[in-house]
Order: sequence, then C-alpha cells, then structure tokens
Amino acid sequence: MTITVDDYTYRYGEEPAVDRVSLTVADGEFLVLAGPNGSGKTTLVRGFNGLLTPDEGAVRVNGHPVADDPVAARAGVGMVFQDPRDGFVAATVGADVAFGPENLGLARDEIDRRVDDALDAVRMSDRGGERIDELSGGERERVAIAGALAMDPDHLVLDEPFTGLDLRARESVLDRLAALDADGVSVVVVTHDLRDLHPLADRTVVLSDGSVALDAADPSPAALRELGVRPP
Amino acid sequence: MITYAPGDTPLHRLDPRTKLFVQAAVAVAAFAHTTPRGLLLLTAFVLCVCWLAATPVLASLRTYRAFLPFLVAAPAVEGATLGAPWFVPADAVTPALASYRVLLLLLVSTAYIRTTRVRESRAAIQWLLPGRAGVVLGAGVGFVLRFLPLLRDDLASIRSAMDARLGSARPLRERVRLIGLTGLRRVFARADRFALALQARCFAWNPTLPPLTATWRDAPATLVGVALVAWAVA
Repeated sequence: MTITVDDYTYRYGEEPAVDRVSLTVADGEFLVLAGPNGSGKTTLVRGFNGLLTPDEGAVRVNGHPVADDPVAARAGVGMVFQDPRDGFVAATVGADVAFGPENLGLARDEIDRRVDDALDAVRMSDRGGERIDELSGGERERVAIAGALAMDPDHLVLDEPFTGLDLRARESVLDRLAALDADGVSVVVVTHDLRDLHPLADRTVVLSDGSVALDAADPSPAALRELGVRPP
Repeated sequence: MITYAPGDTPLHRLDPRTKLFVQAAVAVAAFAHTTPRGLLLLTAFVLCVCWLAATPVLASLRTYRAFLPFLVAAPAVEGATLGAPWFVPADAVTPALASYRVLLLLLVSTAYIRTTRVRESRAAIQWLLPGRAGVVLGAGVGFVLRFLPLLRDDLASIRSAMDARLGSARPLRERVRLIGLTGLRRVFARADRFALALQARCFAWNPTLPPLTATWRDAPATLVGVALVAWAVA
C-alpha cells in the first residue's frame, strides 16, 4: 500500500512547477509535504490520483500505474482540496459524503454503512441532513474529509487543511488525522506551517521551486525556516 | 433558493416520480388554460404547492429576478406601437398572461427542486427514460442542479466584493460590465474546479442510485396530477 512517484515533472507552459521529483509514501506513513507558496506541492499531490498527468515521470498507487487506471487510483487516494467547497457536489452533508461510494457502484447498504462510518469518524454522525453551506469552516473541512474517507481509501491527501480554521477546528481536524493514522491509513498533508503537525509527522518533505529540498524525519527549525516553512 | 432544502414537508415525502408527474401536469394545464380565470385557479394551486413545500414565494421570485425583465418585456413590446396611441393594452394581454404562466411554472419547479435531492431526481429521470438517453439526461440534470447553486454563490460573492469597496457607486453600465466579465471568468474557473471535484470522487455515469418507492402518500398527489391533465384536455 504505497504511493510511488518517479521523476515527476509537470510544467505550466515552459516553466516546470514540479521538476523531477521522486518520493515514496509508505504504508501507514504520516507524511508532511511542506514548502512555500508556489513550490509545487499541490501540483505534485494532484498527480497522486491522476487529477494531473505528469509531463514526464510516473506515479504508482499500490503498485499500479495511475495512468493505466485513474479511477482505481482515485478510489485508493482520497483527496481533500485546499478550499473544501471546491470538492462539494451536493447540497447536504449526507448526500455529499455518499457521492463517492455511489460512483463506485456499491450496494445501497454498503453506501449507507460507509457514510455512517465516515461521518462518525469526523464526529458529524447526526448531521447528515444539514446543508453544507450553513456549516462553519471547520465543519466543512470535516465533511470534506468524510467525503474522502467514504471512498475507503488506503491513502488520504489533504491540501492545506488548516487554512482559515480557528484553534478548536484545527484541533478537531488534527484529532481525526491522528485517529486515521492510528488506523493505518497513510496520510499526506500539504502545508507551509508545521506547528500543529510536527507531533504526528513520520517524515517531512520540503519542496522548493518544484524540487525536493529536504527529506527528513525530524528536520531542524533553521533548515525549515531557510526554506520558507514555519517550523514547529 | 433553487437548491435542495432538507426538510420533512409533505412534498419532501413524495416519490420524485410523482412530483415530476404533477409538475408536468401543471405545465400542461398552464398551456391549456391561458385565460385569466384558468390562471387564477392555477395560481391558487401553485401557492398551495409552495405552502406544502415550505417554499417562500417572494424569495423564490427574487431568485429569478434576472429573468423578470424579459417576462415584462414581452407584453411591453407586443403592446407598443410605432405611432399613436404608442401602446395598445389589448395586444399586451396575451403575452402578459403567457409571462405570468412562466412565473407559475418557475414556482412549481422551485418547490420541486427544494424538496428533491439531486440523486433522487436523477433516479426518477433514469426510471422514466431507460437506457443511455436516460443516463445522459439524468447526469445532465444532476450537473445543472449541482452547478447552478455554486455559480449563484460566485456571482453573489462578486457583488458583495464590489459593494464592500463601494462598487455600487459606479454607473450601472460599469457595474454590469464588471459583474459580467468577472462572472464569466468565475464561471470557467468554477467549471474547472467542479470537473476536478467530480474526477477526484470517481464520477461515474452509472452510479448506485437511491431506490424509488411510492407509498400511499403518492396516491392523492397522483390523483391531483391526473385531475390537472383531465382539466387541461377537457
């Protein structure tokens, strides 16, 4: 159960946003992908499930090339966008969380079970009937995570999940991430601020100008600061 | 306003196929009875539907305010003349009634949308129209119902952003141009993000749809639909 990235290169026009990046997300690993704005973090993770196709290089999810079966990759890699509203496709919490499992063609009982489990995992089990646009920012983030979890992914990728969240909402999301990590789901969090994530991270990879500038289990604050990342 | 609103009204509890049938019956009746008396009866019916669906009438009409000038323009153009007397009210009556009929249909549609989940609509459409055509139509309706509210929110946020920086002080033409151009850019950007969300969540043409089960509650509603059709063809 791994995500393997080999020489991933993606260009916007002539300029490479991600330049020959290779890395592996191991089974059950909690990986923090850090870097300043414009360093290529989002462009890289969107290749994990085939939302972007690299100009060069390849990505494999659980050993299978993403290019061969993007749907399998998307079922295996749940993704939460930077702005959770970008990922919502339904008006109510329950309908949105069910959207992914429905697309997998599962039986109704299994869909209902997954929706219940996913909402329970983000502590929103009794709120399936609520309208998403009436939720707070932290609640929306949790619904977006539930939507990804309902796909029963092996890997979960969260792009800047703490943007705009207050302390309580951040703690709530962090609690969920810690629980998922404990359950063996590998988690990749994209961020430029390591303050909250340091205790959870098994490894930190820092991108700078589209390349891996640092890959360490416990990077020094000075090195992080130098690369434009807020240290813990 | 034109998006699903969770609730437990009598219309929420109806089978979506029944609701589609009644909606179609109202449309048929509205086209068959174009007299003021006929439209008055339909108005009473539509208000009753809105009440049963907990759909606020005025707020719904406000949602469609962008279309209202067109509905007003039709009778105005029809009644206008190039010379004296400049306006013939009798000529404007028929298009005015037609415009009014459109308003009634918009209200019934709003009540339907507010009481029916998108996936239920899709299931009903695919039940009514089996095969590939139903799949495409169902998915298309799903796209529209999911995408339109996002678009409306975007346009509302553009307007708020303009107002926050005193954009309302600018001339009307300038405001229309700004909202139009910015809105168009947002439409394309929003469409891209929406497509990305669908891809990320494994969009499928043939997903598992909710089961459709008619209950005893659908019987009176179906009878109402049949009565409307009978009234239309009588």
